[in-house]
Order: sequence, then structure tokens, then C-alpha cells
Amino acid sequence: MTPPPVTTAATPIVEHGHAVGHASAHAPQGGLSHFLSTYVFSKDHKVIGLQFLFSTLLWFLIGGLLALAVRWQVAWPWSDVPVVGKLFAQEGGQMSPEFYTMLFTMHASVMIFLVIIPILAGAFGNFLIPLMIGADDMAFPTLNMLSYWFMWPAFACFGASFFVEGGAASGGWTSYPTLSTNPASSPASGMGQTLWLLGLTFVGVSSMLGSVNYMTTIILMRAPGMTMFRLPMTIWAMFITAILQAFALPVLTAAGFMQLSDRMLGTGFFSPEGNVVNNAIAGAGGGQPLLWQHLFWFYSHPAVYIMILPAMGMVSDILTVFARKPLFGYRPMVYSIAGIAGLGFIVWGHHMFMSGMNPALGITFMVSTMMIALPSAVKTFNWLGTLWGGKIQFTTSMLFALSFVSMFIIGGLSGIFMAATPVDIFIHDTYFIVAHFHYVLFAGTAMGVWAAIYFWFPKMFGRTMNEFWGKVHFFLTFIFLNGTFFTMHILGAVGFPRRLADAYHYETFHHLQPLNAFMTYCAIGMVATQVIFAANFIYSMFWGPVAGRNPWNANTLEWTAPSPPGHGNFDYQPIVHRGPYEYSVPGVEKDHLMQTDPPNAAAATAAAAAH
Amino acid sequence: MGKRLAGIFWSLLFLAVPVLGVATFAIAPAYDHWLPKDVSEHGASIDSLFYFILALTGVVFVVTEVLLFWFMWKYDEAKNQGEATYIQGSHTLEVVWTIIPAATLLFLAIYQMNAWADVKMRRPAMSPTVEVVARQFEWRLRYPGRDATLGTADDLFLVNDLHLPIDEDVLVQLKSMDVLHSFFLPNVRIKQDAVPGMKIPVWFKAREAGSYDIVCAELCGWGHYKMKGRVTFEPRAQFEAWLERKYAEQGTTQPPPEAADVATAQ
Amino acid sequence: MNTPFAMLRFTLLLAVVVTAVGCGKTPPASFRLNMVQATKTAAPESGMEKPWATWARERQGQVATILEAMYGTPDDPVALAETGLDLAKLKLAAGPVRSDIVGRKNGLYREHCVHCHGISGDGMGPTAAFLNPYPRDYRPGKFKFKGTWRDARPGREDLTRVLHEGIPGSSMPSFALLPPAQVDALVEYVRYLSMRGETELALYTYAEQELGVDDTLPTTKEFLVDEILTPIVEKWQGAEDARIPIASVPGNVDFTKPGDDPANRESVARGRALFHGDGGCVKCHGVTALGDGQANDYDDWNKVIVEWSKEVTGGLGSTQDDAGRTAWLHAAADVIEGDALRPRTIPPRNLRLGLYRGGRRPVDLYRRLYTGINGAPMPGVGPSGPGGKGSVADAEIWHIVNYIRSLPYEFDGELGADRPMVAKDRF
Repeated sequence: MTPPPVTTAATPIVEHGHAVGHASAHAPQGGLSHFLSTYVFSKDHKVIGLQFLFSTLLWFLIGGLLALAVRWQVAWPWSDVPVVGKLFAQEGGQMSPEFYTMLFTMHASVMIFLVIIPILAGAFGNFLIPLMIGADDMAFPTLNMLSYWFMWPAFACFGASFFVEGGAASGGWTSYPTLSTNPASSPASGMGQTLWLLGLTFVGVSSMLGSVNYMTTIILMRAPGMTMFRLPMTIWAMFITAILQAFALPVLTAAGFMQLSDRMLGTGFFSPEGNVVNNAIAGAGGGQPLLWQHLFWFYSHPAVYIMILPAMGMVSDILTVFARKPLFGYRPMVYSIAGIAGLGFIVWGHHMFMSGMNPALGITFMVSTMMIALPSAVKTFNWLGTLWGGKIQFTTSMLFALSFVSMFIIGGLSGIFMAATPVDIFIHDTYFIVAHFHYVLFAGTAMGVWAAIYFWFPKMFGRTMNEFWGKVHFFLTFIFLNGTFFTMHILGAVGFPRRLADAYHYETFHHLQPLNAFMTYCAIGMVATQVIFAANFIYSMFWGPVAGRNPWNANTLEWTAPSPPGHGNFDYQPIVHRGPYEYSVPGVEKDHLMQTDPPNAAAATAAAAAH
Repeated sequence: MGKRLAGIFWSLLFLAVPVLGVATFAIAPAYDHWLPKDVSEHGASIDSLFYFILALTGVVFVVTEVLLFWFMWKYDEAKNQGEATYIQGSHTLEVVWTIIPAATLLFLAIYQMNAWADVKMRRPAMSPTVEVVARQFEWRLRYPGRDATLGTADDLFLVNDLHLPIDEDVLVQLKSMDVLHSFFLPNVRIKQDAVPGMKIPVWFKAREAGSYDIVCAELCGWGHYKMKGRVTFEPRAQFEAWLERKYAEQGTTQPPPEAADVATAQ
Repeated sequence: MNTPFAMLRFTLLLAVVVTAVGCGKTPPASFRLNMVQATKTAAPESGMEKPWATWARERQGQVATILEAMYGTPDDPVALAETGLDLAKLKLAAGPVRSDIVGRKNGLYREHCVHCHGISGDGMGPTAAFLNPYPRDYRPGKFKFKGTWRDARPGREDLTRVLHEGIPGSSMPSFALLPPAQVDALVEYVRYLSMRGETELALYTYAEQELGVDDTLPTTKEFLVDEILTPIVEKWQGAEDARIPIASVPGNVDFTKPGDDPANRESVARGRALFHGDGGCVKCHGVTALGDGQANDYDDWNKVIVEWSKEVTGGLGSTQDDAGRTAWLHAAADVIEGDALRPRTIPPRNLRLGLYRGGRRPVDLYRRLYTGINGAPMPGVGPSGPGGKGSVADAEIWHIVNYIRSLPYEFDGELGADRPMVAKDRF
């Protein structure tokens, strides 16, 4: 089919073609309001994406430091903790047990709600979606701006909760009643928990605004010729993630309101009658703690897929670029993502096998959970197929993408143990679970995020990051993360429980302190290594070598735009003629064809036109 | 040349994953970093399921990770001067590697249903041996007493020190007084959340005498880590003798001699 | 300018900045002074030359120095021979949590007790404010659950029993699973902290009553040991001889049978009569025994704060012109606000729950009834001292015990008929 003629819009869309950050490119207008609307309350998806990126990377640091404090206590219980110990000077620096419960609660809450979810959808989704589909911005720029600024009340709530009486939330990030609903049951079940719930609500609103935007943009604003099956995997992943957000989040928000209502209005959704905690008489009853678990996990299970699918998509794209090969099994990959998302709605009960719900559900959820391993396995095999027969370039970005595959295999396989309900009797709430989710979320998604940062940094800032230091960063992170998290599988096999401030007074776990000390050393190394990344990132933003439009010789649409793109993104309206992975096309001299390259530019159009 | 060396280095780094991964699991049992001793009747089926899945995932792990290493090694750009293979996929492969995992996973799921039902669904018809009420931050125990009925004035009340007979079905009635807790006996492969507002039966049979930990396995507040209990399995005769001793102590109207006014732990 | 070298410099700079922010070991733990008592007993006198705050700080410094000389620090305890404390046990309990060269656990107090009871045994550890009831403050030397006369100190076996059984209905856990040697060490450390607290109180009292404005506390051995320490130690050592007599159980009482058993019916009826009559129980515990009688009293630890707080507020309302007095009262208000737990009333026990904090054995209930509960408003029905006469005859107390033990099962009560704790049954 012949492509539509190039429109008379030979008029450039971008006025100056300069980087967004150059104030000189704009006509000087009223100082403050112009500054605010360009850099603060910007409606440009790229600026918003960068705002998300900077904010989430900062919270990543905070979440990582919280984790270090957790690891310190686990390795050397009741010893003088660095930095944190100053808060406990009376007792010689040893933390109190409720402080420990706050640490792991806030570590998880910050990482999940303020880092992983916003960095994938908010930072990369925002930055990449219009660029990769050939649009000039999102469908709803104002909504987009609001979706970022709704994160700030969330930041404020979570941040402030550390300083209120009783401290930040300490009922676990899962916030199970009646520990979290009854203010007498834990010091932080007062103001801290309320702020946590409010923060969660704001994150939910931000995510829902974003997901509406992404779905609409992807469906309606694709460039001419960009059919759904010519979309890069990044976009497919973002699209399906947005659908997941839209369907799952309202349940969490509703549950959050119910818990707020229990705590502030005296309702009893989750409190059984006559619940007396810490000698304080409970409020209304007639409710069920299990109700919260069902509602919470109905969202939080799709949430974990929200936290990995975009990374899977981005990794797929990055692997193809640096293997110089098309993606192996494009349609099966798309169907797998859809399968993961769809199945993701019917597996939530696997978090509740021991909860006291009807044990017959242990059977049904076991089957659906086992089946959800299937699409992930298919994806892994397809990634391997993508590498087979390629010409692999070991750039930093590629190394992180490869490690995503390697680590995701571990995380995915360990999931099978806990899907097996009888085995879960033993490993539920042990470090086996902790190992599993840290492999998929940190060794998986975070590695994917770093791959994406190193990959799209030139597009974002017009400069490349330093490759040598990037590889040092990768190497050290890879070593330390495996040292920290792989051994957690062993701890889990012993039955070492989660969330214990001091496990060594049990006979069963008495001998595990040296292993935990080793893991803490690795964790300290891992966080220290990130200094290299921070330095590389900040330094390269201002003084890195200038990058051209397409430093990686990739073929997707964003690489036709300037680095960084100006308002409107593209010099000319892109017209798409081929799919996203046209690398090493036989019979073509260049080793890649851009998606916008006209069909007659390749002798092997037959192969290309099959899409 | 430098690039090829780099490629070799990275490939070998990724090879370390399956090598060290398998090594860790192989070495750990030798250092007593492995499944704790199991003294229950149903534990063997849980452990064998664990090993079965370990073997299965271990094979998949090694194969896929070695393949990843192999592709990194072989298809290094510094090694291949020619073009990459332009291939979109393979329908056959997709079918094969969808059907086989699907069948395996489904088989796994069905294979385990019986073990689960034994532990959680097929309750023995008996009255409770003991009632365990989880509380911030202890395990309060209540034995039915001489009249074998819970809820009468001759119930025996204890804390944290659970004794049970071996070689018999034991039924524990699990409750919580305040927040969620979880009754976890690592050496019996038993875990059940204690939910306020619910009365949940837990049953098992111990095969061997000895004293083991009771661990709380659901976050219950700041004292979650110190909710330590001990379960002691002993032959029925000794169990009864111990109960008698505890009755005597509970009904004490005289303090024992000065230095020993303490209920002993055994 | 993108050499790795430039990057390296940048990274090192960043790393130095990051580490400098959080480095430095925490100073070793130190005892706190009893600030409520320190300010309470430090009323300024007319004609003081120094500002009150300076004078008060100096006084407190003297007290702290004396206490450190007599008792050491949390990491390094000292036990004068006169106290009769076992230093080896104290060393096991004191200091940071660590294992010594033979693998023996040290730092037991910090591991098990400090976060509730505080480093000084003041019941104000980090967790304390969130607990109901508050953890025990050892410093006045009062303990609730013991087998000695009301105002006597507890014996070692009483403290050991509390550690062993815990206190049901409170946050005090059972330490039955600790090795006996560790329990002994902790008991010794509790006595040590209590003696230290009482010494501190005695020093403040002496300073308030005997010293002039410009005097300093004497530091001679005669003063510290003979005048301050010996009365305290005598009380502790006398605890072993201060155990209450336990009357023999009357013939119509059988604690191995339930309350409605014919063997007990007469006794339980007598107990009920005494409960509503001579025992005087219904005033607080209510005719229903649900603890719904008079319920606005405080235990002794909270009462100190409440009464002192009233005085301070009243005092602040008047005297505006006396600078010293104003400073003193403001300081006292700050201490009450920031360095003391918010006072709580003590509700009388709901006797229908079957939850007895001091233990559920008949002898435990006998002891509570006989002497009452030291530190709480609960009075005893037995004699107040050896050779005295109580409101109820010794042997009759067993009938009240019998009645109380039957209460949770009366009318299908809380413990009866296998009720679930809350809500409806499942399965």
C-alpha cells in the first residue's frame, strides 16, 4: 500500500530546533510566570518526564538508605547504627524495635510508590511515548502536568510522616488491619499511617491521570503509518501497563478510603467486633481483616506487573539495538505482555495462601499463578532468540539489559516455589519471598531502568554518559546485588522470617548471623556504587560529550528527532513505513533502516512490508 | 582485540551466575544453612515438593543462563564480522516453548493439590488438643483440662511453652486477641495466620520428640521479633505427666521453697 | 573534557561529601537523671546569687557525679560492697549487646529491656509512650507483684517470677525461654537500677531538706554509705524476711475443681459475700466485678506527675515577679511536658476476663488480696504489718480467691463455653 504523500507541512514543527533547556532560544517574556510555565508547570511531556526522573531518582536514594538501616539491624541487631543511632543517643545508638518496623515499611513504600511506579510510567512513559509514536506531545498536556504535580503532595505526605509523633507508618507496606487500623496497636498507627494512606491516594491519582493520558495518546495520536503492530515493545508495554493501572488502581484507592474511614470516622470495615489492642477499647466492629487483604492484593498484584512490564518493553528494544537484530517473535511478545496483564488480575490470592481464607482458594489461585509463569517464560525465550545470531555490542546499556534477562530468570523461577501452595506453607513470609521480589524488582526492573537511562540519556540531554564509568557502575552493582539477594534464597530455605528486628534468639536461626553480615556488606557496597552513577549522571548532563540524533544507530522514531528534541519533537511530521526492528536487513548497505525510511530505500521491501 | 577481551570478560561474568548460583545451593546444606529438621508426618511431602521444584527450576536456570552466556560469547560483535541473522521469529519454536512449559506448570499445579488438601482441608474429626491465642507479643495457651472440654473452669493456662504428644493427630485451635499474627512451626512445616475474629483449626502429627521454635510469621507490631515460643513434643505419658505438674502449679496455694518460686520451663 | 580522570575526581568529591554527612560513632549510652524529682526538689530560695538555672544545673551535676562514682555507667557498672549486688551478674546485663570470648551473651538489659524500661530503668524507653500500661519505673523502688508486705521490697524470687511469667494484659513478655543464668543477671540489674534510682531520690531529698543554697552535697564515704545508701540496702536485704504468711486453705475449698462444683459452692458464696461486704471490693471493681466502680485514681508513678503538674500550673499562675521562681516553674513545666510520660488513670481490674496481671495461681491472688498492690490504689484486706489485723481474716481470703476464680465462668462468661475472641466462628 502506498504511503500517504508528504504533506505540505514541510513547515518545520520545531521553531528553533534547540534544546528545551536553552532560554535564549525563546523570546524574552515576563520572567517569573514564563519560568514557571516552562520549567516548573510545564506541559511539555519531555520536561514532565525529566521532572519525574529527577524526583524518583532522589527518592531511590532515600529508599536505598532506609534499606541500609534495615540491613544493619538484621546483620548486627542492637548495635550502634551509623547516622540513625544519633536518634537513640540515650541507648548508645541502638534503634528501638518499632523504629525497625518503620524502616522496612517505609523502604518498601518509598521504593514501590515513589520510585518504581513513577519512574517507569511517569519518567520513561512520559518522555518516550510521544517520541516513539511520532506525536508532538501527549493527548492531554495539562492533565500530564497535573499527574506530575500530584506526586508532590505524595512526597510531602510520606516525607512529613517521618517527623510526626509515632513516626512514619510501620505496619508493613501491606498495611494489614488490625495493626494499621487500630491506633493503639503500634506507635505509627496514628498520624504516620494516616499520612501514608493520604500519600498513597495522591500517587494513585497521579497514576490514573497518567494512564488515561497514555492510553488516549497511544490509541489516537500515532503518526501516519504507525499501526499498532509497528509499535516498539516499549510502547506496547506502556500501553498495557496503562490499562492495568486504570483497572486496578481504583480498587486500591477505594480500599485506602475504607481504611482511612475506619481510622478517622470510626467505621469498622476491617475490624472485628470487640477488638481490644494494647488495652484500648476498639471502635466499631463487624468487619473482617481479610477484606483488606483481598482488596489490597487485587490492586497490588497487577501493580507488580505495572512495575515490570515497562522495563520488559524497554529491555526488548535495547536488546535489539545492540544485537543489531529484529526482536524474535514480535507478536508472541505482544501477546505475552497482554497475557501477563490479563492473568495478573486473577492471581492475587497467592499472597494470601496462609491468611485464613478458604483453603479451596489455595487450589484455584495455585493454578492461575502457575500459569502466569508461562508468558514470562515465553518472553525470556524470545529474548534469547533475539540474541542468537546477533552482533552484540557490549555497551553499558546493553549490559544492564542483558542482566535484566539473566536476573529475571532467577526472579521468575523462584516465583514457582511460592506458587506451589504446599511449599508456600514453609516459605511464606520468609526471606525466600524477599529474594524473589528483589530479584524481579531490583535485579530486574531497576537494571532495566538503568539500561533505559544510559540508552535514552543522549536523547534527553543531548550528551552521552561516560561508558567506562557506566561499566564500572554495572559491574559493581551486578556483583553486589547478587551477593546481597541470591543468598536470601538460602535464608528462606532455612525459614528465616521477614520483618524480624532480631532473629538470632531462635534456635533455628541462631547460626545465620555471619551470612547476614556478608549480605549487609554487599548491600553497603551496592549503595556506595551508586555514587558513581550519580556522578556520571550529573557530570554528563552538563559536560558529557555532545551526542548526535542517533548515537546508537537505532531505528525507532525518537532517534529521528534532535537530541534533545524541542517543542513539538520532530522537524517534520514523521511518516512511518516500516516496523521497529529493521536491523541488519539483508541487501541493505546500512545495518539499520529507520522506521521513517521510505519503502523504496530498501531492496528487501518484501520482508519489510510483511508487517 | 580489546573489545574482544571485554566481550569475553562480560560473557564470563554472566557465566558466573549459573555457576555460583548452583554452587551456593550445593554448598549451603553442608553449612547447616538449609531446610530445618522436619519432625512432622506431612513435612516429607512438602520437602519433596520443594526439592522437585528446585530440580526443575535448577535445570531451566542452568540451561537458560548458559545459553545466555553462550550467545554473549559467540555473537560478540568483536568476533563476528559478518551480518547479524535477520529473522523475525519462528512459529515452531513459539509453539514448542509455549506448550511444554504450559504442560509442565499445569502438571506441577495439579500434582500438589493433594499435599495442600492434607494440610489445610482434610481436618481430622477431633476436639482441640490446645487453644493457641496469639497476642501482642506472646502465645497464650489453653489446654482443655481434665474434663477434655475447652471453656470450663479446669482449663490450664500457660504462656509460650507448648507441649504436645507425638505420634497422634493434634488439633490446635488458633485465635488472635488483637492483630494478625501467624503460627509458624518451622520444624513441623506448619504455618497459619491467626486472624482476629476467626477461629482457625491447625492440625498435624509429630513423629519425633524434641523442643523446637514457634515463630510469629506475620507482622504484628514492634514486638513481632520477640514473639518466641517453644513447642515440645513428647510421648503421651510424659505429656500427661507434664500436664499434671502444670495443674499442680496452677492450683498452688502455697509458694514453693524460697529460691524456686518459679514455674520451670520444662 | 571527558576523561575518566575528570569523572574520577568528581566521583571522589561526591563520595566524600556523602560520607561526611553521616559519619561518627554515637557516644556511649549514659544514665539520665530523674528530672521530675530533680526539678521538684530544687525550689529556689530567696537571696540566691546565681540564676536558678545555673544553680540547678550545678546541683544536678553533683548528683550525677556521685551516682557515677557509686554506680558507674550503663556500659561499666560499679557495685559497692555494701549494696550486696553481684558485680559479675551486673556485667553480664550491662553494656552494648555483644558476645564475649567464650560466646556468652552480654548486654542483656540492652537486648531485652531498654527500649521499654529505658537505659536508667525509668520506664521511659523509646517504646514506652505507646504502651498501655506504661513500663515500670524502677527508681522509686516500688514493685506491684510480690509476696512481701505492701511497703517492703520484692524478693529476688518475686522479680524472677515476673520475668518468667511476664505480666499478662500488659506488654511485659514472658522470658521463660531465657537461660536461668541470664534471667538472674537481669534480676540483679533491675535491683541495681532500683537502688540507683532510690539513691538519687535520697540525694535530692537530702539536698532539699538539709542543704543551704551555697552548700554542695557531701561526698564522704560516711555520708554516702551510712546516711544515704544503708537505709536503701537494708530495705532490699530485708525483703527476704518480709514475706507474708500464707494461711492454710480451709477444708471447703478445692482449687482443682470448678467454682460451681459442690465442693466449692459454700466457699464461693462466702467469697461473694465478702466481696460485696467486708472486703470492700465493689467500690472500685463494681457490683458487677467488671471494674466499673470508681475509676479516676492514679497509680503512684502517675500520681507524682499529676500532683506536681497541678502545683506547677498553679504556681505559674501566680508569682510573676520572682525571676528564680518563674525560671524554676517553667523548667518544671518543660520537664513534665518533654521528659515525663503523659499521666493515665488506672482502671480497676475487670475480674470477669480471667486475666490476672500478677499471676493466676490461687497463691498469687491471695497475695494481691492480702497486701493489696504496692503503687496502685488497690488496698489489702489483710493486716498491714506482722501481728496486725486485717479487714478479713487470713483464712477467709481463700474464699474471696475462690469467688474471683469463678467469675470468668459465671453466666457463660469470657472464658466459658469456648467463645471465639471476637466475632463469629468460621469452619
